[in-house]
Amino acid sequence: MELAYYPGCSLKASSEIYDVQCQRVLSAIGINLHELEDWNCCGATSASKTDDFLAIAMPARNLGIADASEYPELVIPCSACYSRMLVVQKMLESDRGLLDEINGELSSKVIGKTKILSILEAIQPVVKSGDLAGRVTRKLEGLKPACYYGCMQTRFPYGVPVPDDVENPQGMETILETLGAAPLDWSYKTDCCGASAAVNENDLSLMLMSKIMKDALARQANCFVTTCPMCQLNMDAYQEKVRATYGIAQSMPVYFITELIGVAVGLPPKDLGVDRHFVDAMELLRELNLYE
Amino acid sequence: MTTVLEFIPDQACSLAGEVMARSGQNLNACYQCRRCASGCPVGEETGYVTPDRLIRMIVLGKREAALDNPLVWKCVSCFTCGTRCPNDIMTARIVDTLKKMAKEAHVPPLSPKVAAFHDSFVAAAKRLGRLNELEFMGRYELKNTLAGLAKLKFSEVIEEHKSQAGLGLTMLRKGRMHFRIQKVKGRKEFKRLIKRVGERARGLSRSPASQE
Repeated sequence: MELAYYPGCSLKASSEIYDVQCQRVLSAIGINLHELEDWNCCGATSASKTDDFLAIAMPARNLGIADASEYPELVIPCSACYSRMLVVQKMLESDRGLLDEINGELSSKVIGKTKILSILEAIQPVVKSGDLAGRVTRKLEGLKPACYYGCMQTRFPYGVPVPDDVENPQGMETILETLGAAPLDWSYKTDCCGASAAVNENDLSLMLMSKIMKDALARQANCFVTTCPMCQLNMDAYQEKVRATYGIAQSMPVYFITELIGVAVGLPPKDLGVDRHFVDAMELLRELNLYE
Repeated sequence: MTTVLEFIPDQACSLAGEVMARSGQNLNACYQCRRCASGCPVGEETGYVTPDRLIRMIVLGKREAALDNPLVWKCVSCFTCGTRCPNDIMTARIVDTLKKMAKEAHVPPLSPKVAAFHDSFVAAAKRLGRLNELEFMGRYELKNTLAGLAKLKFSEVIEEHKSQAGLGLTMLRKGRMHFRIQKVKGRKEFKRLIKRVGERARGLSRSPASQE
């Protein structure tokens, strides 16, 4: 399967390991990614808090580039980028005047023909066809993940078709069960980690993260699994502070879904950057004999 | 604390009309069921201002209260309120609109760091077309430092730098900090788009939100 690919700014900076994982792991399971030509920042949530038109114009340029590419589908692993691009595509579809105005400034015009996929939607066909199960060389036995979706995989600021259950999504669980893990049922899978509040309202964010962590631990999870680079970075980088502030004894590695697929299909964890987490993420793999 | 909100039609129409047009949300549809309030993750931090009460303030025309309250600044844009609203009112988008209106009305933000964060993000992203975390965080910390120094809050400034430096060093050690500059090649086109944003903001064209 050939897909256009929008990495976004995070995946070229603090979450570069996610970029590497997406490309290597997806290619190992038969999905080849083709990075969009000269993409720009989607504006994330900051643009919508600053200027309505900017928040539409920034994703629109990327949509135009995607529409001009030879690939009918575009995968966007970062939840914030995914949400912005999906929302703006839908907004422009219903506002011809705005579409024309923006297209007047763009060399690659927005047509609206590209289908935007989250990382979970991109992987789903490989799970359904049985291809993923066939490629597993190391079953993730003993792994009890709390699948953490955060906000932007299922909740959108505008009416777009949601690809999974809004309150109880199952996209990650389906993949992890195929890999032999035993994902848990828990209550905080779509709760907010605070996102940028970790930087600008730290106490608030620590409070939100402590609730997520406490519930996951109470259900006896031994790790988190995420698709969003912001959730991953927050739960990972601030975990020590959350634990110290809220008296949580146990720590938990925070994996990207891609690195667990990678490990299961036999890719070396270090090549995927599993050793570059804040909370040690290699130890659990070693304990479970998923890596020696 | 009991807060009594009085209905003054003239005030109410102008504020509610403006917020509805800019946010694209139909506030009149709110029947105060408070499903938004029960799901709001920051509810314990926002005092008596819950999403439903914010809507009520706007409908009653309480401009000052609507532009200057903790929910506007503590909202984490998780969109739980709007996803659960039986009438599809996305309060998180109303909050975004209020942030912009507060800035235009020169109401000082209750959380200056939140305002500095989004302003710095957008400034950095607009300059090179892609966000460079170091530039963005540099702009953000500079804004905070200047604001802190202006208010003579030296210990706060020192604490902020200590905590950010700690995180920065860990990121460096883990190979999660990057110094390679990312930018778009189609700078001319991107700048043209940004110029249009500026013209729009100066009122040279209609507001897109009103069209949603």
